[in-house]
Amino acid sequence: MAARHLIIGGGTAGLNAIRTIREEDGGASEITLVSAERPYSRMVLPYYLGASIAESHVYTATPASLAAWKVKAMLGRRAKSLDAAARKLTLADGSAVEYDDCLIATGSRAARPPTPGAEGPGVHCFWTLEEARAVIAGVQPGTKVVMVGAGFISFTILNAILARGASLTIVEVAPRILPRMVDEACARIVAGWLERHGVTLRVGATMTKIEEWKGKRKLSFKKGEPVLADIVIMATGIRTNLEWLEGSGIEVSAEPGGGILVDDHLRSSVKSVYAAGDVARGPNLLTGTLEVHAIEPTAQEHGRVVGANMAGRDLAYRGSLIMNIVEVCHLDVASFGQWDDPKADVFTATHADRSQYRKLLFRGGKLNGAMICGPAEEIWATNDVGMLKGLVYSGADLSRWKAHLKKHPFDIKPAYLATHTAGRLLPQTVLGRASQSPQLPHSVVVQ
Amino acid sequence: MQTGTYQPSKSVIRVSPFEGYTSYAPYTCTQCAEGWCMTACPVGAIRINAAGAKDVVDDKCVGCKLCTIACPYGTMFYDPDTTKAFKCNLCEGHPACAEACPTEAITFAEGETADWIGDFAAERTTRVLARETA
Repeated sequence: MAARHLIIGGGTAGLNAIRTIREEDGGASEITLVSAERPYSRMVLPYYLGASIAESHVYTATPASLAAWKVKAMLGRRAKSLDAAARKLTLADGSAVEYDDCLIATGSRAARPPTPGAEGPGVHCFWTLEEARAVIAGVQPGTKVVMVGAGFISFTILNAILARGASLTIVEVAPRILPRMVDEACARIVAGWLERHGVTLRVGATMTKIEEWKGKRKLSFKKGEPVLADIVIMATGIRTNLEWLEGSGIEVSAEPGGGILVDDHLRSSVKSVYAAGDVARGPNLLTGTLEVHAIEPTAQEHGRVVGANMAGRDLAYRGSLIMNIVEVCHLDVASFGQWDDPKADVFTATHADRSQYRKLLFRGGKLNGAMICGPAEEIWATNDVGMLKGLVYSGADLSRWKAHLKKHPFDIKPAYLATHTAGRLLPQTVLGRASQSPQLPHSVVVQ
Repeated sequence: MQTGTYQPSKSVIRVSPFEGYTSYAPYTCTQCAEGWCMTACPVGAIRINAAGAKDVVDDKCVGCKLCTIACPYGTMFYDPDTTKAFKCNLCEGHPACAEACPTEAITFAEGETADWIGDFAAERTTRVLARETA
């Protein structure tokens, strides 16, 4: 068994791997963490922006907690190159770390479009803690914020911007909002809801430049009037941090989305090197094809599976399920699985006056994808969201229920219960054992 | 757990009606071995309490709702009033639902985690489905 584990990246995947190694080995191995930043949860940065939590709340580990987990933490240090054959990582400062096995979990960074002015003053991304601090400093009551991009990331910070008392305009190059999370019908409902809540939307808008104009930012477009902003937030997508692996011998996919190619144990082409989270091109639970799922739940599962395997378990991973949920102005929007499958049998229901939408996508008798939208306080319309996940995840046979669900797409619960979905899910665990509480395992000796 | 309000829509144990409201069965968190809500939480706000139940630590929960889509049983909820997630925590070992139930349909005892409602629901929905497809 490997005695020296190296974790590169202190995000969700890296920290879940560390915790799992310690759950498995009780502190017996050496763990080194190399992380460019002090570990924090990107997922909760929007709540820091919205001032509902303090900055101290975002951290997922401290130097003290890492010491208690018997982790040698090299924080603020950046990986520069990997010699996989020699099992050696070189850092940006020139120092080297040798290992028996390692995890690449270097995640993603925000990407800006090549538009002139997109790198200029007053134009921010919201991805890292440092970027969050800059946006917090720049968004005050009355600030006119223009956000470029109407995707998931943009929508996760929408409430926070409004909560700070700023006004918000969202511009999007695609003809509609949330193009990679929901379908057109759902996007229409969400867009109407946002406009009623004071958010200005401008879709199909190709930005040509951002420039300074009388102390403000002026955004120009191919068609239509320019837009003025006090601050611009670019939510125009992410890029995985993989460039530093060039020449490492680790195989990276040439397909769109890229990612390190991994096997069912999440090992790369070099068996002593694992990959997890945004940088890993791992199996899709429903299709088995290798895909990058740059979402929090995949980073968690990947990290835990890698941690168990690094600790000597022989654990195969079934694959990740793409899923997203976002709440904007108290409207819940969520999608699961193959929600845009063109070959699926699709059942939808819309209550436009109540901003409710439901979409079920079947392949044969199996629910392969789902979409849900509705006001958060209307519990009956949104509170079975977990059951939809359970039906998609378990691949329950809904053949007998398909005709019923076609007529009543909101009536998931009896179908879920009567097909013994809970019973089928109960023996299933990601690690082949019960999960532990997230606190420090008692077995780790606190130094 | 008790929300301190009289509002059935916020109950973490929910009764499903069957066959035109002639029979009923309660459904709540199974306290599953995976603990999908717990492993999904990005800030470690869901923990195992002394009663062995997965429990939300309110001070830590930011209300991101990730647990509500991670839980495949549909027993993880979000309260728009508190902006926190909430779920059955077995009332720290003294479940109020079991104490309140006048017919002992709900009892609290050590046992294997099980799908207690599947067979009942399958049987009680057979006629409805047959009628629909007839």
